[in-house]
Amino acid sequence: GDDLLPAPQSVSIFSTNMKHFLTWSPVIVQGATVRYSVEFQGEYEREHANGSWIPISECSFTAATVCNITEDISASVAYKMRVRAELGSRRSPWQTMKGYFNRITTSLTPPLLSVIADGYHLLVELTDMGPAFQFRVLYWKKGKESMVQQKVTNEVSSVVHLDTMESGAEYCVKAQTHVEAINRSSSFSPTQCVRAQGDSSVWL
Amino acid sequence: LGACRVSLSMTEIRAGFTAIKANIQSRDPIRTLSILSHPQSLHKVKSPDRCCITHHLFTFYVDKVFKHCRTEDSFVNRKISSIANSFLSARRKLGQCHEQNNCACGEKSTEKIKQILENYEGLNVTSAAMKSLGELDILLDWMEKSR
Repeated sequence: GDDLLPAPQSVSIFSTNMKHFLTWSPVIVQGATVRYSVEFQGEYEREHANGSWIPISECSFTAATVCNITEDISASVAYKMRVRAELGSRRSPWQTMKGYFNRITTSLTPPLLSVIADGYHLLVELTDMGPAFQFRVLYWKKGKESMVQQKVTNEVSSVVHLDTMESGAEYCVKAQTHVEAINRSSSFSPTQCVRAQGDSSVWL
Repeated sequence: LGACRVSLSMTEIRAGFTAIKANIQSRDPIRTLSILSHPQSLHKVKSPDRCCITHHLFTFYVDKVFKHCRTEDSFVNRKISSIANSFLSARRKLGQCHEQNNCACGEKSTEKIKQILENYEGLNVTSAAMKSLGELDILLDWMEKSR
């Protein structure tokens, strides 16, 4: 009869900034392309739906050894994932990841930002990180570290106006992300400082 | 929700439901009945009881509804799982309010919950579950309106 394929090993999840990926080691069969299928199980399925598993269609019969599970890990509960290898009609046993995964453990990196001095205007450009993210921007006049101001924004499609600067003065900015769904924040980005245009003309 | 301060990922629940709403509602053959809105709209519920009603309705959906909504459509099943797990997470937070006695039920609310369960039991389980799932936007609208 058909001998069983070995199950994929090293099934694990990498999660950064609320993007979650399942990876596993390939199953090697000389001269053949082994494919894989992935299923997930949330706490609801374990406790209220007889431990049922739900297939992820984008990762069914895939030749890849990675699966983007972000869409399905959409609640702050403990999830389990499993993978099996498939070659023609041959199937491996399911390999279930060790332990559980809850998105509250995702690693949050500081936001990428660029600070712009546009004449007397202090602006910041933030990189879009997805709808789950809020940005907390701190800014202050250099030397006046005790007078830090803050702006919280979800707005990333355009430049964010922070302040109008005093002529020739230097202003510094840093930012962190906040994810409401898991109630956590990243660490702060490195501080960036810019100088407002000097004003040679005198208003009479 | 009254004295109970709980953060719920409404955006994600709403997005998950919106993605399958048409599919689910098309499976509801009984258009003249409502589980949540009969005989009285949910919006008639007094605000002090919001936490209690929300907690009971989340329990209703987790314990009775979602498990009978499995379909032949993998995408729909995945979205139902997403909503179900979000409800489970939210119910746990509401349960903490219950324990701190911030989630009391008034007489009218207890009656409303009883009515919903009677509406549900009055249909065969699959029809009742699909109809209840299809009415999720009624619950979400009521929750967001009463924030």
